[in-house]
Amino acid sequence: MAREETSLIYALKRVGYAALVMLLASLVTFAALRVAPGSAVTSILDPAKTPPEVIEQYREELGLNLPLFQQYLNYVGSLLTGDFGTSLFDRKPVVDLVLGAASFTIVLALAAFVISFGLGVPAGVLSALNQGGWFDRSMRFASSALMAIPNFVLALLLVLVLGVQWRLLPVSGATGPLSLVMPALVLAAEPWALTTRVTRTATAEQLGADFARTLRARGVSRRRIHWRHILRNALSPVVSLGAVQVRTLLGYTLIVEVIFRWPGMGSQLVQSVVRRDYPVASALALLLAFVVVLASTVGDLVLRWVDPRVRTESMVVK
Amino acid sequence: MADLAMAHLDGVPVKRSRGRFAGVSLGTWVGVLLFAVASVLGVVVLLVPSLQSLWTDQSLRSTFLAPASAGHPLGTDSLGRDMFWRLLAGLGVSIFVGVGVAIISITLGLIVGIVGGFFGRAADLTTNVVIDVTWAFPAILLAVVFAGWLGPGLPAVILALALTGWASFARIVRGEVLTLRERDYIAASKVLGRSRLWISVRHLVPNLLPLTFVMSVFFIATAIVAEAGLAFLGLGAQPPIPSLGAILAQGRDYLTTTWWPIALAGGVLTLLVLLLNSVSDQLREHFDPRHGGS
Repeated sequence: MAREETSLIYALKRVGYAALVMLLASLVTFAALRVAPGSAVTSILDPAKTPPEVIEQYREELGLNLPLFQQYLNYVGSLLTGDFGTSLFDRKPVVDLVLGAASFTIVLALAAFVISFGLGVPAGVLSALNQGGWFDRSMRFASSALMAIPNFVLALLLVLVLGVQWRLLPVSGATGPLSLVMPALVLAAEPWALTTRVTRTATAEQLGADFARTLRARGVSRRRIHWRHILRNALSPVVSLGAVQVRTLLGYTLIVEVIFRWPGMGSQLVQSVVRRDYPVASALALLLAFVVVLASTVGDLVLRWVDPRVRTESMVVK
Repeated sequence: MADLAMAHLDGVPVKRSRGRFAGVSLGTWVGVLLFAVASVLGVVVLLVPSLQSLWTDQSLRSTFLAPASAGHPLGTDSLGRDMFWRLLAGLGVSIFVGVGVAIISITLGLIVGIVGGFFGRAADLTTNVVIDVTWAFPAILLAVVFAGWLGPGLPAVILALALTGWASFARIVRGEVLTLRERDYIAASKVLGRSRLWISVRHLVPNLLPLTFVMSVFFIATAIVAEAGLAFLGLGAQPPIPSLGAILAQGRDYLTTTWWPIALAGGVLTLLVLLLNSVSDQLREHFDPRHGGS
């Protein structure tokens, strides 16, 4: 009973902490994008051709003439009511733009996540089970190679071979399930390599553990020991890695989406930042930050649930 | 590596130094030496004004995207500039940014990590929040902000990558400090009335040096990739600075006609990262045999 309570308190503390981080993150996006020079007004209206009154009126309309502090309060206030403003560029509601792009990014990131974990965990376990064998060695080679090759280089190579030379897959855009293949593979490459390695190390450690020997002595079948007992114990570093992977994947989508002209949040962020479209850029940055914070919060909570040993540690220890 | 782990379990002393120098194999040393020489040359070609014409000279416009020839061992790019010198100078950019980012992020990470792990609960909570907020943002956003503030170019890139990169190191340092601070010699220093700052500088920092060493190699590698990525998006070094990422972006525009600019720049970048990864892996095994074989 007591343990139930501490778990609940832990969860509340963890969520409160995440909220604090998000509040500060909103201050950062606000400050960063306002401090960056090149006013949104001058990127829409040509200052040489527009009369100053018109520019002033436009600034007032956008609330850009208020003190920064007040602008920030307005900003947080409207965020809390779900109002992310309108794009300075094409005047569409930011929420629509961002949600439209988010669905594309979610599809891409999920595909990559499934590839990297779905293939990475079994590959890691199998490598650990026959250490030094041909499978282990080839996985080791593949993961070293995929960790070293930058994702945009890999993307260009795939485009060159599969798109230009063999014409197997579409080179850019989101024109059906086939166009998902290349971006998802590129995005999954490095996370797959990391997952394989972490799973291999964790499994290898557990293979020599006392409990595994005891189970073997009791005559429990190898398969049951490996895939049930050892994998469960080996999973906690993999779960921690998962939270980190979410962040890596989001960071990589920025560049992968631009290369493949995938209309997700990454290409939208790059575009809005170049256009100085403050509302779109800050909404996207906040959303990305929110996903990263959410992933690490969920990761911590899941870790506590999967691995009772973690429960003895204090909250700030992660 | 499996037998190495078993040997450890059985308490048999392990011999790890065969064919190695400072924990890194001889083959890797040769690679490091080659790349070091090339990088030094690259930085020289990049920074010495009288040598800059080597990679900016466009007098060969007629030899647009020409393949290898006698005067140009690796051909020319789409503006008729010599590819060999551009790759070399691009390597210089990579090393310059990589080392710059590593120095700043390592310093920041050490300071914040030690403050968080050793200077009390309030400091720990504060540094944790700062780390988590920093950690939540993609470097690309900061890169653009700094590019707007300082003007686009290498200083903006270095600052952006360093100010997003330190957080992961600070987290690792904090974790190490949490175990280090329980050691007897730290307790002894406290009893002797040493200040936290004194203990940090005299005991914590020296004990964190191996980790710092491994991580700086890792930081150089990630910063090099990130710089190339930013340049590839047009958000990094501005033309005519020949970043490897910029060469790749240029090659991408001519992907349907030629493949070798991408192969060359991509190959140099990949080999460089492969080498740095291998050095950092070997250093980690050397300093901490428990983590070997992963």
